[in-house]
Amino acid sequence: MTTAPAPSAARAEAPLSPEAAELVTGPAEHPLHPEHTPTGQLSFGVFFQGVNSSTVWRLPESGDQVAWESFESLVRTAERGVFSAFFLGEGLRLREHRGVPFELDVAGRPDAQTLLAALAATTEHIGLVATQNTTYNDPVDLARRLQTLDLLSGGRAGWNIVTTDNAWTGENFRRGGYLDHADRYLHAEAFVQVAEQYWRGEQISHDGAHYSVRTQGDLPRSAQGRPVLFQAGASPAGQDFAARTADVIFSPHGTLAAAAEFRRSIVERTVAAGRDASTVKILPGAEIILAPTVAEAEEKVRWVRDLQIGPEQAIALLEQYWGRDLSDFDPDGPLPDVPPEVVESGVTRGSGFQFAKAEELTRQWREEAAEKGQSILEFARVKSGARRGAFTGSYDQVADRLVEFARLGAIDGLNITPWLIPSGLDDIVDHLIPRLQERGVYPTEYAGTTLRENLGLPPL
Amino acid sequence: MSTTVTSDESSASSASLSAAAADGSGALPVLAVDLVTAPSLAGSLAPLARGLEEAGVGALTLSDGGLHPVHVAAHLAPLTRALGLLPRTDAIYVEPFHLATQLMSLDHVSHGRAGWLLQAETDPSAADAVGRDVLGLEATAREAADVLGAVRTIWGTWAPDAVVRDTDRGVYLDASRLQYADVEAETFSVRGPAITPRSPQGLPPVLVADTDREAAGERTATELSDGRVLDLDVSGGARAEEIAERIASATAPPAPPSAPAQQVRLVRLVGLDLEADPLGTVRQLAEDLRTRGLISPAPAPGETLRDLLGLPETPFDLDPSRRADRARLTREESA
Repeated sequence: MTTAPAPSAARAEAPLSPEAAELVTGPAEHPLHPEHTPTGQLSFGVFFQGVNSSTVWRLPESGDQVAWESFESLVRTAERGVFSAFFLGEGLRLREHRGVPFELDVAGRPDAQTLLAALAATTEHIGLVATQNTTYNDPVDLARRLQTLDLLSGGRAGWNIVTTDNAWTGENFRRGGYLDHADRYLHAEAFVQVAEQYWRGEQISHDGAHYSVRTQGDLPRSAQGRPVLFQAGASPAGQDFAARTADVIFSPHGTLAAAAEFRRSIVERTVAAGRDASTVKILPGAEIILAPTVAEAEEKVRWVRDLQIGPEQAIALLEQYWGRDLSDFDPDGPLPDVPPEVVESGVTRGSGFQFAKAEELTRQWREEAAEKGQSILEFARVKSGARRGAFTGSYDQVADRLVEFARLGAIDGLNITPWLIPSGLDDIVDHLIPRLQERGVYPTEYAGTTLRENLGLPPL
Repeated sequence: MSTTVTSDESSASSASLSAAAADGSGALPVLAVDLVTAPSLAGSLAPLARGLEEAGVGALTLSDGGLHPVHVAAHLAPLTRALGLLPRTDAIYVEPFHLATQLMSLDHVSHGRAGWLLQAETDPSAADAVGRDVLGLEATAREAADVLGAVRTIWGTWAPDAVVRDTDRGVYLDASRLQYADVEAETFSVRGPAITPRSPQGLPPVLVADTDREAAGERTATELSDGRVLDLDVSGGARAEEIAERIASATAPPAPPSAPAQQVRLVRLVGLDLEADPLGTVRQLAEDLRTRGLISPAPAPGETLRDLLGLPETPFDLDPSRRADRARLTREESA
């Protein structure tokens, strides 16, 4: 038995909301794209970021970000909620702001695979996914470590492929900054090919633009064949890379319309790459803030946003784009009326935003905030919430909303970043998941023993 | 069971019992068992590690048999309570920054029970696998010393109190309690700081096994490491008498006194037959060696590997020239 009982007839025939109905372009079996059939099922992952402002550290119940006990407790809750995956972020250089390690957000995390190898011993079902960089790793070493994790966990390993290319991160590594931004996916694809050869136990003789490798894959295959491959797939080039390579895509899409459009785009690209559309799952990164009632949820969202983004962080967020000291500006006042000092590079390094076009963006932001009458603080809170793909509301409201995402096949699940560690999954597991199970869109037990099986991916 | 240690060795070992000093010189060595990380072992690792712990072993070393030794050590951390966990892993054909992060993370998940058995790879296939030229013996030894220095420097980049969680100021991390690594070695450089907060031991112990001394080089083995590992091959059986003699002669105080790095910290049983009652063999041997006062008592939960090995605590040293908040200080000075 792999999923919840079939939804009741009343539920299955419940009319779609006008918002959802408007997106439908085909019959019930292909509502978004002729090549894609929704499974009608969702699966959840936990996205433990370990940095950034999403994790609230100011509350008494905010746990240690590095302690083993925090991870163990979070993962135990996730397994209770039949989560498919526990997914760790990674950044290979400590974030900096104006040349100094960034002080206002949580920072510092254990090595992803070392932690997951330990968690493999205390968990039974959940997938263990490590973010690992193709630019600053050696492919055979990384493939071997991932294969070890896959074998130690009985086929539950996953790899989130990231392709950082900046020379600033390279300062921690032997090669330094050797890769052009334009070449990052070419390089990553060659890297993944070497890893896949290793996993198949092949003789490897690779001569690429950046390295030559000779070795022999010498580990047995894992229960799932190889680690499951995750990719953010945000930019068009990233989407193409993901469509050719990945099993799971997780860039955030908080609205149904955006998610539906993204599904169509990925189906097109997957089919163009010669793969069946069902072989690529979409689990957008998401933040979930819940309460018993709609009014309480609205209040809670404001409270969480206040805790995530204080006045200091709001100023620092703008400083990333303005590239200059803005500490003289009042967080409760309007956005700064001064021009940015950088065009290409933000001052918070390692945040993923260094390629924003600052001049254009800061002008847009000033206009947007002025139009809505938002202060610096209000603006920063709305912006940082929006980019996390937030699902907020009452338990029933969010459950109903997710049912529509599932019926349309816009997504196959969510990769959820808890806003609190380690108790941030509790209300999801206690209140949302039972409602999704009642509505027939979420599993009541694990489908199998491997991550592949639990994500509903076809066997290799 | 009769004991046949000579009177000289007997007095040497009782002297070492009473002479354990604050810096750990004279501490009794810890009994370790080496496990080879063969994939076929994956299923039996948990009962084996627990059984060895219960049989009185103080530490496990993990030698590369296919599965990555650091992963296997991490996997065993939550399955055991007090054992030291020391992967034997290469210093040469690796990224020093990754290696430092992995080992300090092992220290986090094991609550301070991590160590590193430093190995310097000389097999050309290891260089081929990462696309680097194989180093000669002298270059290998220099590289091992450089990587060890870099790894320790990276470990030392966060003060224990760098995470301040100051809700009044809105500050989670105090950059003035961090420093860059700023390692400039012959073949690599590392900027830092670590991406992982300081681990429970600060500097996990780094030991060099006798079998790895030559490749690692004299300087790493006898000056830079935290101690020596006496390797005892028990593949042909574990004879208590013979083992006791080996330990006694290796731990007898030399004249003049040796450097701390030359002191035997670990006695490692290599080649233990896992088919022929390994737990019974080890239990009996551990009892015998403890009765003779040749190895340290079994570890207690809560002890770090440094405690167990008799190594002093490692204070955080802030180097003013590497302060991570230097850019801000400079701005403030010029303002």
